[in-house]
Amino acid sequence: MKLLPSRRGVLRGGGALALSTGLGSALTSCSSTADDGVGPDGRVTIEMWHGQNDTARAVLKRLAADFERTHPHIRIDLGGGVLADAMLQKITAALASGAYPDIAYVFGSDLANVARSPETVDLTGRLGSDKVPWKNYWPSARAAVTINDRVRASPAVLDALAVVCNKKLFQEAGIPLPEAGWTWDDFIEIAKKLTDKAGGRFGTGWPGTGDEDTVWRIWPLLWDLGGDFMGEDGRSIGFAGQGARALGVVRDLARDKSVYIDPKPGSEQLYQVFNSGRMGMVPTGPWQLPDIRTAKIDYHVAPLPSFSGKPVTISGPDTWTLFDNGPARSKAARTFINWLAQPAQDVRWGVEAGSLPLSRTAEAEPVWRKHTKSVEGLTVFTKALETARVRPAHPAYPQVSQALGQAITSVLLGRSTPAAAMRSCAESANAALLIPR
Amino acid sequence: MPPTPAPLTVAPTPAQHSLRRARRRESMTAWAWISPSVLIILGLSVVPVIWSLLLSFQANDLVTPSRWVGLDNYRALAADPHFSEAVRNTLVYTVLYVPLSLAGGLLLALALNRRIRLVGIYRTLIFVPFVISAAAQGVLFSFILDPEFGAANSLLSRIGVSAQGFLTDPKQALLVLVAITLWSGTGFCVVVYLAALQDVPQSLIEAARLDGAGRLHLLRHVTLPTLAPVSVFLVLWQIIQSLQVFDLVYVTTKGGPLGSTTVIVYFIWEQAFKSFTAGYGASAAYVLAVALCVAGGVMRFVSGRAARREEGAAR
Amino acid sequence: MTATTVGPTTTTTGNGPGPAPAAEPAPGRRRRGLPFSGWHLLLAPLALLFAIPLIWLLLSSVMSDAEINKFPPALWPSGIHLDGYRYVLGNAMFPRWFLNSLIVSVVAVASNLLFGALGGYAFARMRFGGSKILLMLMLATMAIPFQLTMIPTFLVMKRLGLIDTLGALIVPSLVTPFAVFLLRQFFLSLPRELEEAAWIDGCSRLRVLFTIVLPLSRPALSTVAVLTFLTTWNDLTWPLIAINHDTQYTLQLGLTTFQGQHHTKWSAVMAGNVITVLPVLLAFLGAQKSFIRSITSTGLKG
Repeated sequence: MKLLPSRRGVLRGGGALALSTGLGSALTSCSSTADDGVGPDGRVTIEMWHGQNDTARAVLKRLAADFERTHPHIRIDLGGGVLADAMLQKITAALASGAYPDIAYVFGSDLANVARSPETVDLTGRLGSDKVPWKNYWPSARAAVTINDRVRASPAVLDALAVVCNKKLFQEAGIPLPEAGWTWDDFIEIAKKLTDKAGGRFGTGWPGTGDEDTVWRIWPLLWDLGGDFMGEDGRSIGFAGQGARALGVVRDLARDKSVYIDPKPGSEQLYQVFNSGRMGMVPTGPWQLPDIRTAKIDYHVAPLPSFSGKPVTISGPDTWTLFDNGPARSKAARTFINWLAQPAQDVRWGVEAGSLPLSRTAEAEPVWRKHTKSVEGLTVFTKALETARVRPAHPAYPQVSQALGQAITSVLLGRSTPAAAMRSCAESANAALLIPR
Repeated sequence: MPPTPAPLTVAPTPAQHSLRRARRRESMTAWAWISPSVLIILGLSVVPVIWSLLLSFQANDLVTPSRWVGLDNYRALAADPHFSEAVRNTLVYTVLYVPLSLAGGLLLALALNRRIRLVGIYRTLIFVPFVISAAAQGVLFSFILDPEFGAANSLLSRIGVSAQGFLTDPKQALLVLVAITLWSGTGFCVVVYLAALQDVPQSLIEAARLDGAGRLHLLRHVTLPTLAPVSVFLVLWQIIQSLQVFDLVYVTTKGGPLGSTTVIVYFIWEQAFKSFTAGYGASAAYVLAVALCVAGGVMRFVSGRAARREEGAAR
Repeated sequence: MTATTVGPTTTTTGNGPGPAPAAEPAPGRRRRGLPFSGWHLLLAPLALLFAIPLIWLLLSSVMSDAEINKFPPALWPSGIHLDGYRYVLGNAMFPRWFLNSLIVSVVAVASNLLFGALGGYAFARMRFGGSKILLMLMLATMAIPFQLTMIPTFLVMKRLGLIDTLGALIVPSLVTPFAVFLLRQFFLSLPRELEEAAWIDGCSRLRVLFTIVLPLSRPALSTVAVLTFLTTWNDLTWPLIAINHDTQYTLQLGLTTFQGQHHTKWSAVMAGNVITVLPVLLAFLGAQKSFIRSITSTGLKG
């Protein structure tokens, strides 16, 4: 869900001007009409709320222009300047009022709720292209858009969590760089060794606001321990037993004072600390690499550690969700989304906007191969996709996440023990699951 | 006006007839005049109140057709720690804000209630924040109280106090919100009390003075009792305001940090418009409405008895 | 804002219960031998405390970005920088939002006056079946808490196809029970004879209302106008629920969203804030007497 913190971070830090100038012009043309979108010249216009800004928006604009050249009967209106963070609320209201776009950028964790609307197009059997069959997608990319065995959206941005290490700090501390198979105990120990309180240097970092960026990092630990979102009874959470041990890692990091806790939403400061060379390791996605490279940090990417030694990580794909504005517009929207998913466009989006390819076929594209050669560690992220899991598409996920976020934060800040935090988390998460939906 | 139909019977005298016709005309005019108000006011209150009740027995996400779930929403409500937290936060807010704004308002009104120069300016300055919208207040104070860049911490550091978290500190946030509302809401109590002080009968004060009553005595036995009805109004008014607080919370903290400022209206808004559980939100609203009704009834009963006792004592 | 403009109001509400003649000096002035009353020592700092946040709002809106983002922040602008205002009026949609707010508030005020007067007069002077019950019902609706009607009102507006239009903001505020009731009470206090004379002259009821009753009701009408304007202009909750597109935002909603998107551009946010606050502030300072009377009248009737 909090998939693009780096881009948002840049925006909040310095790019506010760029955003607002864009917003001013972009948002004036939001009046989506309920017509069939077919102009007098037979050209179909579809509206897309892309949720992107800065780089990603520019890439998408170029892609849309190229698409319009090859598909002269379709016009893409990239008008909706709604940012990804505000998308859920805007889409809810738009659906309720009956004037909604044809395509919207919806966070993976929100899809279950959005897909309840009858206006959300069912893409089962309609996704993929001749060159990239749906079956060729990474499992996590498929899982992220599948709800109750139906395909409800197309994966928009694909990522995976791995640990980026600052080589210089490791060298100075005389610690060998971590490799696949390392454990959370190793992680805690290394983080402690890398920490230098007097020098203002941290072993690692964790977002401390309790939002989705705080939460998604804990799921690989829970899954590794055998936990799951939903318990077997289907009425209560399935990680109550594992939660305390997973939170134990958080407690140890906090106890050692080896973790930098970012107090602000967006996790911008966390990455600033890493990019200024004052943090040893940061668990992050591939979208952070461009900034790290710009900051001239000599880095190494290791897969996420685990308890069992087996590889396990999380992927947080976001989606292009389609809404039905009549057959003509719906078909045009599907055409565009499938075109975007073709390997040629997919890797272009991946290379320029910081996403991972949707499938092995796309990964094998020469453009992507060349890209991975120039970007250190990118292959680690792509390899992680083979074993990555995604968060469940459950309508109560946002509330369960909120409860879990509070538990993590209270342990991070030393206000609560893992066991106590987990108890109150289970209490409020189970209460949220009781609410009829 | 539509023409009145010709009479079918001959019985009434012309005078009676014209009177009845006038009555009828009056009645029709009246209905024509009140119908816009009736339609809008009753349509947007009675209909929603019933609809809300129905919603509270449904799973409704405002988007898809709803589903009847019986009492499940209420059951979930009983188990939800966030709901009880929202109720607790709202109560704390009310219990702090109402007495403080009344006491502050009364003291300021008594201080302002004299013939000195500049008193008009003082009163204006104290009242002005009341007309500022909660959104503007929220934006202004999130700037002043920003832990890093705000003027408040800058001032504090100059007098040697360490930087405070204010709205980002779960222990302080609700108190800070109370303080902001006191800043904007006390002025209302001040002007209402000032106006009421005008109504304190001069004859009573004169008489008491002649009896040699001191200032405190005068205040306690003459001024304050005459302010009692206004105080009752203010208590009710401020309670209603505090129970409905939303704008300020939305602008400054969004219910955070860690749910420490989630108040009732915010909780309901979040359920209905963010979590796709409008039915659940409606059930929360209903529980509170019923609770308020009961509380209001009890208060009326108690104050009624108190008034009767007072009457008895006066006799 | 000077002592002279505020002066007249002082004599209406700001005076003490002391014996009427103004010649008598305030107690304490002579006794302490200060050149001014001792109360100033208490009241001046208190009044300043209330004023400081607003002064700070004005000051920071004319600071340059460098000054405002400095740490620790500057407490006084080096000069008048209008960058924030230029930004807000040039790039953002504040002018549009201002217009939206104005449309909603003006329509609400006008229709509350009209429907409030019609309804209030009917309840005050006309006899018709069910009038008592209706009046009671309307009064009772004032006690319904907003959170109870919030969700269904959204659904009603959705059924009417008004969501995401200014209509959704206007319709619920077209007429309030408060306006009807307040005007009814006022009409009841007017002498009946004037109207009866006009009826005998054959005036229609509508003409009686507009030519005789309403001109006599200026204080009550201004109270309704002031309070309606204040509540519609300042509302955030309902626009937040009913509006999606920023072309339909009101100032309050626009300001809130603008702040969320411009964390770092405080001078622009503060300039936007000044623009949001200014109309109400100017209206208040210009018609302070009527404002305060309006607001206290709600209190003293209770």
